[in-house]
Amino acid sequence: MNSGAAPDLTAERDRQLAERVLEGDEAAFRRLYRRHTPRLYQLALRLLAGDETEAEDVVQDTWIKVVEKLDGFRWESELSTWLHAIALNVSREALRRRGNRREVEWPEDDEPAGAQPLERLEPVDLERAIASLPAGYRTVLVLHDVEGHTHERIAEQLGVTPGTTKSQLFRARRAVRALLAPDNDGRAS
Amino acid sequence: MSNPDDLTPAERRALEALARERAPRPELEDRVVAALQRGGLLPIPLALRVGRRHLRPWLVGAVAASLALFAGGFAAGQYFGARSGAAAALSGMQASRGSAAQVAAHAERIGTLYVEALAALNQLNDSTDAATRTKARQVALTALGAVAGEVAHLAPDDPLAAAVLRGLNERSEEQRPAPSTRSVVWF
Repeated sequence: MNSGAAPDLTAERDRQLAERVLEGDEAAFRRLYRRHTPRLYQLALRLLAGDETEAEDVVQDTWIKVVEKLDGFRWESELSTWLHAIALNVSREALRRRGNRREVEWPEDDEPAGAQPLERLEPVDLERAIASLPAGYRTVLVLHDVEGHTHERIAEQLGVTPGTTKSQLFRARRAVRALLAPDNDGRAS
Repeated sequence: MSNPDDLTPAERRALEALARERAPRPELEDRVVAALQRGGLLPIPLALRVGRRHLRPWLVGAVAASLALFAGGFAAGQYFGARSGAAAALSGMQASRGSAAQVAAHAERIGTLYVEALAALNQLNDSTDAATRTKARQVALTALGAVAGEVAHLAPDDPLAAAVLRGLNERSEEQRPAPSTRSVVWF
């Protein structure tokens, strides 16, 4: 884990760069971009089920929103936290625009079959299964199980109750297990 | 395992092994910077501003071509007046090497004609096909963006020009064509 000083130094450096960005310093923006974009891009890519084109659009729109609002950022949280919250919102907008045309939905009354806990699991298989999830399940599972957010924080970000996110996580995990079960119906492939 | 809904050690390990960072294509950085510059959120570098000065005749030509195409292609019978007026004004502007006042007068006349053309279009709801209206709207927005860009060039701090450019940029982002589904293959 990080030492206590490292995040503070990072935050201070972010703040210095951000102040230069507000003064119109393109080089400072590029440094900020390079520092944070790989995490933003990976998050967007995962939320958007591996669509690189949409993930790039999300990164671009996120940075535009961030620079637009940078002057009002109060530095009460880390810049990266704020960036990720905006990237999440932009990703969800992209998912809404996408609609359901590329989503596979699990019927509410149809619990995924084969939902046994997995004793062997390769990350690549897991990644593929996550990408196959319906967007709602995928979002909660990525935020909780991959990004490590709490249910309270996820609920706040998504505008739902913690109970809802717990329920969605429960179903998402079962869906992943079903997708990765040897006798699954192929929805993960 | 006490609770079947908890993650197994294997599941936890697999989750922890997932990448938290991935570099996008390098071109994205320049694309984002350009978008910020278009929106007035980062200044346009001096070198590009100088380049824009050299491009100004081209820009005028592009707007003129758009206007001429629009005027020529749309509802010919109802549009000859505006077309001939636009053509005359454009040719006067392009030929003009006179005072700033003369150029400004030409620009004002062309702008007025253009607004009149769009007003005429609005009165032809039923007789105008959707494709023509779409084309006219695109031409109008192109001209609006070009004009706002020129205003921003004349007065870089002009908030209205910046707002127009930002709005048009957001609109173009919203209307970006559906992605070509260039997906990562998770293998």
